Amino acid sequence: MKLLEYEAKEILKESGIPVPKGILIRAGDDARTGAAQIGELVVVKAQVDVGGRGKAGGIQMADSATVQEVADRLFGSRIKEVPVHAVLVEERIAIEHEYYLSISIDRSSGSPLILFTSSGGVEIEEVARTNPTAIRRAVVHSLLTDVPGYTLRYLLNGAPKELGPVINKLYQVFRSRDGLLAEINPLVTTPSGVYAADAKIIIDDNALPRQGISENRDLTDRERKAEEFGFSFVELDGSIGVIGNGAGLTMATVDLITVLGGRPANFLDVGGGADRVRVAHAVRLLGSMPGVSVIIVNLLGGITRCDEVAAGIIEAGVSQQVIVRLAGTNEEEGRTMLNKYGYRMLDTMEEAVAAAVEVAR
Amino acid sequence: MIYADKSTGVIVQGATGNQGSFHIGRMNQYAESVGGCGVVAGVTPGKGGQESGGVPVYNSVREAVDAHDATASVMFVPGVAAGDSIMEAADAGLELVIAITEHIPVHDVMKACAYAQMRDCTVIGPNCPGLLCPGEISMGIMPSHLYTRGPVGVISRSGTLTYEVVHELSRAGIGQSSVVGIGGDPVIGQTFADVLDRFSEDPQTKAVVLLGELGGNLEEEGARMADLPVVVFIAGTTAPPEKRMGHAGAIVSGGEGDAKSKIQRLKSLGIPVASRLSEIPGLIKEMV
Repeated sequence: MKLLEYEAKEILKESGIPVPKGILIRAGDDARTGAAQIGELVVVKAQVDVGGRGKAGGIQMADSATVQEVADRLFGSRIKEVPVHAVLVEERIAIEHEYYLSISIDRSSGSPLILFTSSGGVEIEEVARTNPTAIRRAVVHSLLTDVPGYTLRYLLNGAPKELGPVINKLYQVFRSRDGLLAEINPLVTTPSGVYAADAKIIIDDNALPRQGISENRDLTDRERKAEEFGFSFVELDGSIGVIGNGAGLTMATVDLITVLGGRPANFLDVGGGADRVRVAHAVRLLGSMPGVSVIIVNLLGGITRCDEVAAGIIEAGVSQQVIVRLAGTNEEEGRTMLNKYGYRMLDTMEEAVAAAVEVAR
Repeated sequence: MIYADKSTGVIVQGATGNQGSFHIGRMNQYAESVGGCGVVAGVTPGKGGQESGGVPVYNSVREAVDAHDATASVMFVPGVAAGDSIMEAADAGLELVIAITEHIPVHDVMKACAYAQMRDCTVIGPNCPGLLCPGEISMGIMPSHLYTRGPVGVISRSGTLTYEVVHELSRAGIGQSSVVGIGGDPVIGQTFADVLDRFSEDPQTKAVVLLGELGGNLEEEGARMADLPVVVFIAGTTAPPEKRMGHAGAIVSGGEGDAKSKIQRLKSLGIPVASRLSEIPGLIKEMV
């Protein structure tokens, strides 16, 4: 789950990384009184999770006289389609230099990966494309609780030494907060010291409960509902409803529909060990989607039991044609049940997908 | 076969849950049918002295290996406790841990895999269906009746996609040497490259099917180094782009990781890529 800038900055502050003095203002709050505690010259930053926020008008300069007006204007606007519910009013700092610092997970080594460059700021991805050697990369062994000194020296490559502790503190934030990403861009030097001028933290969804987060804000209502049933669901814009088990097989089913000239309406992975209740919910969910003219159920039983799946399909009883392909555990029981209720059951995935594409035409 | 064979003694961690007890039974059915050693004991903290799936249960891996001849573990321990269980198995001297569990926090996986490596313990998974060497051993949750013995190795990031391909291969009369589910998580123990190394030392294996997905570039890393002929399939060509992870994702991958560009890079390396699953048996038949 992605944290907003002000939430990420609270975490950085707790860990000892300096952030500009700031105050969160929500719509309806008195921005002027709040801003008075910050200073005469301020920056007003929309708290929305969009890339390129500054260029899209989500970051505005203001002073004590204009801060209310600037904040109100942001509250009434959308930044790249996302409505603004809160703004962060921060002191304006005198930036001397902008650096980029991030920690993410390197899939190849299965370890934390630190990226650092002295060319930070809004053009960082351009730097990555045109001058990739300017970005220093270091993998840290997963069992180390601190970034070793030689790694810090390598990363800094002559940048001010005072940035070293910031790298180490961010590494500890990344570890203790179950981060998928901890990013400071820009990390700035000023006459009064180092500051994290912007920050982004993404927390591993599998670790939300132990991080004290009870609800994943990133999910849409429908996705949350799908998650409650135990499946992952992505809406596409075609006419063929797809239910599979396992992300790989479900993706391959969606891919094959496209290869054979059909248009998938969704991706729905019912997950391992899907029982009749979950399958029935899945079939009903697709049955309720207005654009869906046919549903393909493509399941291979590993943990999943085919008799349970068959019972779920029969129980859902949707109006659209349901084309079924089942193989695996308790396959014969499943087949017998479906045949009894007149469902079309085909032997291979390719036959079933071809049949569904044909019906959708 | 690779990683394990008939003579491998197996313990199951997380033995007393529904999945644990159900799959102990199935793994031992398979062991009986091939005359193998199978699952000799289970481990669930606090449930020592009970039985599950017909085998005795112990409180710790250490107690289980003291009482039984076992060198490998299959793990069904739930998410937040699973990283700990991998380290426990490594500490007790097991050589191989196959982690079936999904939804393990990725930081736990990073630490557990790094720790296991220092203890010379091989980790397969997590979030995987396990290992099946037809005629030798089943360690995990794969539906064994689809499998036949033969010359083709299979390595996969996805459980059900594996079964699909094994099913197609068997129907085409092409048997498998070993089938390894390496798991779909961002951080995993054994990678495509690691498993390919094992296959290249296995006299039974003549060619390998790599079943990949969008995300990361472990497929290329593996296929590029392979000594054996390989066929690759990548799922997810029509999937919506992965959620962007700040700038780091774009900087690290430079646009790598989506299925289409991954397929293009594989093809540019001269590696055969199947555009649909049903093409795999035909492509592999030419190689064995």
